[in-house]
Amino acid sequence: MAEKSNKPTMRGVFVNGLLNENPTFRLVLGTCPTLAVTTSATNGIGMGLAATFVLICSNVVISLVRKLIPDKARIPSFIVIIATFVTIVQMTMQAFLPSLYESLGIFIPLIVVNCIILARAEAFASKNGPLISAVDGLGMGLGFTCAITLIGIVRELIGNGSVFGINILGAAYEPMLLFVLAPGGFITYGLLLGIINALTARRAAKKGGDQA
Amino acid sequence: MALHISTGPHLRAKADTQRLMLDVLIALCPATAASIYFYGIKAVLIILVSVAAAVLSEFVWQKLGHKTLRVNDLSAAVTGLLLALNLPANVPLWIPLIGSVFAIIVVKQLFGGIGHNFLNPALAARAVLLTSWPSHMTKAFLPMRTLLESAAEKGVDTLSSATPLLVPGMTEVKDLLLGNIPGAIGETCKIAILIGLVYLLVRKVISWEIPVIMVGTVALCSWAFGADPLKAILSGGLLFGACFMATDYVTSPMLKLGHVIYAVGCGLMVALIRQFGNYPEGVTYAILLMNIVTPLLDRALKRKVYGEVKQHG
Amino acid sequence: MKKTFPGGVHPLPSLHQGKPLTNDLPVKSFVSDTVCIPMNMHIAAAPSKPVVKKGDHVLMGQLIAEAVGPRGVPVHASVSGTVKDIGMVQQLGKTTSQCITIENDFNDEWVELKGLGNVENCDPEQIIPAIQAAGIIGMGGAGFPTHFKLQVPPDKKVDTIILNGAECETFLNADHRLMVENPVRIVDGLRAAMRAAKVEQGYIAIEDNKKDAIAAMEAAAKGRKGVTVVTLKAKYPQGAEKQIIKAVTKREVPSGKLPADAGCIVMNVATAAAVADAVIDGKPLVERVTTVTGKVREPANLMLRVGTIFLDAIGACGGYSVEEPGKIIAGGTMTGICAPNDTVSMTKTTNGIVVLDQQEATSLEESSCIRCGRCVEVCPMHLNPYRLKNLCDANLLKEAKEDHIMDCILCSSCSYICPARRWIMSSIKNARELIAQRGI
Repeated sequence: MAEKSNKPTMRGVFVNGLLNENPTFRLVLGTCPTLAVTTSATNGIGMGLAATFVLICSNVVISLVRKLIPDKARIPSFIVIIATFVTIVQMTMQAFLPSLYESLGIFIPLIVVNCIILARAEAFASKNGPLISAVDGLGMGLGFTCAITLIGIVRELIGNGSVFGINILGAAYEPMLLFVLAPGGFITYGLLLGIINALTARRAAKKGGDQA
Repeated sequence: MALHISTGPHLRAKADTQRLMLDVLIALCPATAASIYFYGIKAVLIILVSVAAAVLSEFVWQKLGHKTLRVNDLSAAVTGLLLALNLPANVPLWIPLIGSVFAIIVVKQLFGGIGHNFLNPALAARAVLLTSWPSHMTKAFLPMRTLLESAAEKGVDTLSSATPLLVPGMTEVKDLLLGNIPGAIGETCKIAILIGLVYLLVRKVISWEIPVIMVGTVALCSWAFGADPLKAILSGGLLFGACFMATDYVTSPMLKLGHVIYAVGCGLMVALIRQFGNYPEGVTYAILLMNIVTPLLDRALKRKVYGEVKQHG
Repeated sequence: MKKTFPGGVHPLPSLHQGKPLTNDLPVKSFVSDTVCIPMNMHIAAAPSKPVVKKGDHVLMGQLIAEAVGPRGVPVHASVSGTVKDIGMVQQLGKTTSQCITIENDFNDEWVELKGLGNVENCDPEQIIPAIQAAGIIGMGGAGFPTHFKLQVPPDKKVDTIILNGAECETFLNADHRLMVENPVRIVDGLRAAMRAAKVEQGYIAIEDNKKDAIAAMEAAAKGRKGVTVVTLKAKYPQGAEKQIIKAVTKREVPSGKLPADAGCIVMNVATAAAVADAVIDGKPLVERVTTVTGKVREPANLMLRVGTIFLDAIGACGGYSVEEPGKIIAGGTMTGICAPNDTVSMTKTTNGIVVLDQQEATSLEESSCIRCGRCVEVCPMHLNPYRLKNLCDANLLKEAKEDHIMDCILCSSCSYICPARRWIMSSIKNARELIAQRGI
């Protein structure tokens, strides 16, 4: 909801990405990695941070060259820029975090077509300056990271009894395998989405009540 | 004088939701009795935990959500009992507990309560339990009685075995009919299930199409695949699923033609999963899949409305 | 072979449709000391215009209000006596109606009547005017002017008249008793209507739970030209116009059209008897058989004068058998209209007065649809009542119209059978009124 008349502030843009327009829970974008890689909290945070890095870099670069790109060729140009950074992430991860790289697998190269990144390029970076675009990328990226880490924590805890690989529920706990399988991803995502919607609705109702 | 005013009808049919659910519970009595006869106290405990958890979670959800209390419509009790009868005897008691809570809260209430769930709650819960704790759920134990007898004969303590689907030719038709076979506690005794089916048909709670066509399709397919159709019908959870699960009002189509397509689909999926799938038993997934098809059938199928004709003469 | 239509319900099986209360009771006459006659007993035309003044002395059968417009229907005094009042009175409808109140002098002095004589020999051109002059309207409940119904437009070919003796509504036996006690009049009325509308085939359709009526009608119809008695399966709504046409002729009335488009005219048996009275004797419609039943001390079939106050009719049956009545219904329990109080008048269309106690009358709480499919199964029009109800509740009137909401005959079979006690027919009725208002 970037106000057209008012110039967006740094803080406003950051909070917008993190909460108000949280890509996962508000815009419901990028659901493929959200469902597929959140089998553990570590995967979630790894995927989130990788996407955040790509998001910030691509936002800044696209913002810098936005006046040079012809309108008709903008999507291919965005993709090329995004793909460059994805390749950097992929290679870095392969070199320094091989186990995370293994578990994220195909979903790292697939960041290229993550619609959050393309959407921010199209909706924000191609219309704003590089600094504020970087902040937008950071906000959106962290929003995405927090969201999928949260999903990862829930799924790992129930489906494996651990969080970030550390066993929490003890040896006696028999993990509910469903939650680390695909249906568990949908169920967790749906439940969290529902809880957040309910909380938001309650807050809005309270606000409306105060005004009245 | 204060007279009531309303449109018609001023008097209604006797059967209400609660009465229909009570009929389903009554129809499940023979199967419940058989499960207790074969599995003893274990069955009693599973049934108690499952039904109590289902009813309580429905009550708590409606109370906390400040919704109209409808727990006395008995639908939660039906879900709990159906789930219990679908579990093997040796599961730990937290399995029916989690299953019932999941069935009522996630599958039923989150989608809007009675009438709004798109999956049969008991079946969905069973599928969840099956994927989550496969070791507990697929270990099928021979009935207590058989165990005791064979233990006396052979001097063995316990005996675990796979379902008869995996070991063709192992069991006799008589054992299949009586329930003297491994399986979930309520689905082994076919005679008890058939008594329940007859009761439901006589009370006009359900019509014959879904169970008969579904079972018939499975028999036909297994005959085509070269298996014994009679054993295909009598083994596994087919009869129980066809009589009590596939006929669930909420998740089966509204029109008669829809019933036929739905039942054929259920039967076909059961046969295909049994023949080609990795799972030992396909009834749960077959019915769940057709549950998902139900809204599409309701939308796609049309009846000819009276008067959609050319003018006479 | 018993004829029927697909769908439908068997209402109140434990009470045998409430029929045994009165089905063997011969019709008794009852005359009250005042009558209050509404001017809008018919539909499809403007209310009749009073032609008498307060204080006038009127004779029985005297014209007291004249027809307005070509479809209009005149009204006649149903007792002899003095006009006490002409004014607006709360009746069965939503608003008050203009009514003429007459105090009975109990002389039952008739005006001079002039009939056409035998229905087989009279001039067929004279029949319809005689019916109009007698103020006859459909006595099965709808109240459509009969003379207008029999005037077949030249572009339509009608070959069949069906007399509706199904009486599928619960509790009512008025038509049943009329068929048992006065079958010849009914056949005469049918013949008159057939000659007037130039129709060769006439059927008298009766449900198989009225064996005595079938026997009586068959005896009366013997030797009469083109008249056949048809046995229908006892099922609700067998007596609905479209369903009885389907059952008897296997034809369907095209959606949004009239029975004449299926080559049929449907008349109630009571209407036919009134037609016979009008044609043979020139007697206007001033009395009819009404079943007064339910929670009254002595349920009865009464021959009542048009305009009799409900309370008087109930009093003639020994009064209420409960402390406080919960509902008073004009008609049966499936589609009857609730009276706002017990001082409303019976009209030419009131075939029954059913009293329910407080417990029966208390509205049942609606719960969620459990998709049992019963409404779909029973709908005699093959609609999807559950879906229409959802569309109506969501105010999706356009979609409801596309889903054939206008084809619903408001028989309320769906609401009756619904285990979730949903008010399906009510919602459909309200939505249709909104559709008509907004011109969707």
